[in-house]
Amino acid sequence: MPVVELSAVTKAYQDKVAVNQLSFRIEPGQMFGLLGPNGSGKTSSIRMMIGITAPDSGSITLFDQPFSRSSLTRVGYLPEERGLYKKMKVLDQLIFMGSLRGLSADEAQKRAIAWAKKLDIAHAILKKTDELSKGMQQKIQFISALIHEPELIIMDEPFSGLDPVNATLLQDTLLEQKAQGKTILFSTHRMDQVEKLCDSIALIHQGNLVLSGRVREIKSRYKRDRVIVEFQGDDSFLRSPEIAQAKNYSGHVEIQLKDDGDAQKLLAEAASKATIFRFELMEPSLEEIFIQTVGGKVDA
Amino acid sequence: MRNILLIAQREYKEQVRGRTFLITTILLPAVFIGVFYLSFLSSKHSGTDKHIAVACSDPALASAIRTEILSDADAHSTVDLFAPEMPGMLMDSDRARLVSEVNNKSIDGFFWVDVPATGPIQATYEAQTAGDFVTSERLQSALNHALLRGRLVEHGISASAADALLQTVKVDTRQIKNGKEVTSNAISSFYSAYIMALLLTMTTMIYGLNVGRSVIQEKTSRIFEVMLATVKAGDMLTGKLIGIGAVGLTQIFIWIAAGAIFASSALGAQYLTGNLKIHISLLQIVLFAVYFLLGYTLNSALFAGLGATLETEQELQQYSPLAALPVWLSFSMILLISTNPNSIWVVAASLFPPCTPIVMFLRMGSQMPPLWQIGASIVLMLLAIAAVLWFSTRLYRIGILMYGKRATLPEMMRWLRYS
Repeated sequence: MPVVELSAVTKAYQDKVAVNQLSFRIEPGQMFGLLGPNGSGKTSSIRMMIGITAPDSGSITLFDQPFSRSSLTRVGYLPEERGLYKKMKVLDQLIFMGSLRGLSADEAQKRAIAWAKKLDIAHAILKKTDELSKGMQQKIQFISALIHEPELIIMDEPFSGLDPVNATLLQDTLLEQKAQGKTILFSTHRMDQVEKLCDSIALIHQGNLVLSGRVREIKSRYKRDRVIVEFQGDDSFLRSPEIAQAKNYSGHVEIQLKDDGDAQKLLAEAASKATIFRFELMEPSLEEIFIQTVGGKVDA
Repeated sequence: MRNILLIAQREYKEQVRGRTFLITTILLPAVFIGVFYLSFLSSKHSGTDKHIAVACSDPALASAIRTEILSDADAHSTVDLFAPEMPGMLMDSDRARLVSEVNNKSIDGFFWVDVPATGPIQATYEAQTAGDFVTSERLQSALNHALLRGRLVEHGISASAADALLQTVKVDTRQIKNGKEVTSNAISSFYSAYIMALLLTMTTMIYGLNVGRSVIQEKTSRIFEVMLATVKAGDMLTGKLIGIGAVGLTQIFIWIAAGAIFASSALGAQYLTGNLKIHISLLQIVLFAVYFLLGYTLNSALFAGLGATLETEQELQQYSPLAALPVWLSFSMILLISTNPNSIWVVAASLFPPCTPIVMFLRMGSQMPPLWQIGASIVLMLLAIAAVLWFSTRLYRIGILMYGKRATLPEMMRWLRYS
C-alpha cells in the first residue's frame, strides 16, 4: 500500500509544462528522495501532492486513497520557502499550527515545549519570531511540520541555509522519524545528501521523470569506471591506454577509465611503476548518473 | 469551520494585542472630537471681530447701517463712519483713501454705499479677504434693514413701530416622526449623523486596508505555503475577514461604551447641550454596526484580492484612493443630502453599495430613510459583497503563491479564468 502515488501527473503554467506525465510511488517507512536541479518541477509536484495546486491531468493518491484534504492532518510539510508569522511568539505559533492540524491547544503546547528542548531552542520559545536567527527560525519551522506526529513528512530542501551542526541535528531527527516508521519525502537539488539518507529516489529534469527506483539498484546499473589512486613515485602509468582522463593532485589522482578500460590492468601497471597507497574503484555518484542521463543539460 | 475560527482567533488576538489597536482606539476619536470641536468653534467665530468702515453718501443711512451691524452682538464688530471729503457725495479720492487704510491694515474692509439722486443704490464690500461671505451677508442684511426702516419712517410710521415690524423671528425646527411632532435640533441631529458617517468611513477604510496589508505581510513572510498545506485558501480568507472584522467591532463597542459613559456623566451633561446634544437612536446604533460590517466586508474583500496581486505595502497604498472614492463622492453631496434627503439623486447614492453606509448615515441626520430603502440598501450591499468576493477569492487563491512581482492586468484575467 503506497503512502503516495502519482500516476501520469501533468501540470502546466501558461505555456510552460512544469510537470509532465510524472509517475512514482513512495512505500511506507521509506525515505524517498525527489531529486532534480532548480526549476525541474520538484516543488510543483509536492504542491500537487498536498493539494495546494491541482494537476491538469493524471491522478494522485495519499495513503492509498484519492487525494482528499482530510488526509492532510496526517502530513507534515516543510516548504522550501520558509514561512512564519514574524510578530508572533514562537510558542503561540507552534500551538496555532498544532491546533490547525487537529491537536488540542494543551497537547500542542506540551509537544512544542518538548520539541524545543530536543532541538535546543527552549530559551527562545517566548520570543517573537523576528527576534531569532535564521537557523533558529528553521528549527521552529521544522517543529511546526512535525508537531502533530504526521505519518508522511515532506521536506523541501530542509537543510538549505543551515550550518553543519544544525544540519546534522535535523538530519539525525529525520533519521529518528524514519526509525519510528514514518515515511519521508525529501526534495533537494543536493544529490550528495540524498545518497546518504534515501532508500529510493525519483530523479526529474524539466518536469520529466529521468530515473526512479532504489538507490542501490540504480547505482548498480551503472558501471564502476572511476578510480581514485594515491601513490608515490613514477607517474608514467597515468598515460596508460586504459585511461580516458586523469586529474593529478600531487599524488592523489582521479581517473576516468575508457569505456572498455580495464581497472585490473591499470592497477598492475601502476603497481609496477609506483608505490600505491590507495587504489579504489568508485561507483558513480547520483550526480554523475544524473549528468550522464540528461547529457549534461542541467540548468542549475 | 474549526480552522476558520482558529484563523479568526489568531488574527483577532494578534491585532488586539498590537500597539496600532491601542493607538487607533484612543487617537481616532480624539482626532474626531478635536476636528469636530474646531469646526464648531470656527463656524461660531467666522466673520467676527471685524473692523469695518461704512462709507455712504447719505449720512443718516450710514448711521442706520452702523446701528444695524452693531446690533449683532455675537459678531463683535467695530464700525467706523467714514467722512467723505465732500459731505453727501462719494468720490474716487474717498475710495482711494479707504483702499489705502485697508492696505495699511488699519481696517479689515469698507462698505461703500452710493445713493444716487436717481436709480438704484450701489453697495460694495471691499476687504483684504476675498471669500468672507459671512461678513458680506451680514452687511447686506444690515443695509436692507436700514433702508426698509428708513422707508417705513418716511411713510409716516413711528420709529418704535418700525422697529417692532422689523423684529426678527427665530425659527425652531420640529420633526414629524410617524405622524407625531417631536422637538429636534437640526444642527445637533446633523452633527451626530455626520460624526457617525465619518467614523463609519474611517473604520471601514482602515480595517479594509488592514486586511490587504495582512495578506501582503503573509505573502512576503511566505506563510501561505505552510498554511495551504493544511487549510483551504477560502477558509484562510474567511477566517481573516472574520478576525479583523471582530477587531473593528470591538473598537466600535469600546467607543460606544466610552461615549455612553461620558454622555451619562455630569461632565457630559454640562457640555452636551444645545447644538452639541447627541441625537443617536438605538436603531442608529444597530444600523451603525450593520453598515460597518457590510462596508468593512466590501472593502476588505476588495483589498484582500488586491493584496494578493501585490508585493509590498507601498504598492497597496497606491490603491487606497479606491477606498476613498466613494467617500469623496458621498461627502460632495452633503448639502443636497441634508436639505433634500429624499431626492432621487440622494436615494440613488444611498442604494449604490460603495456609498451606502456613508450616505445612509448622512440622510439619518435629516430624516430616517424609509425602512424599505434601508432593507434594499442592505440587500444590494450583500449582492455587491458576493460579487467582489467571487473575484477576490479567485485572485487570492492564485496570487498568494505568486512571488516576485506585481501582477499585471492580463495576468489577473488569466488567474480568474484558471480558478
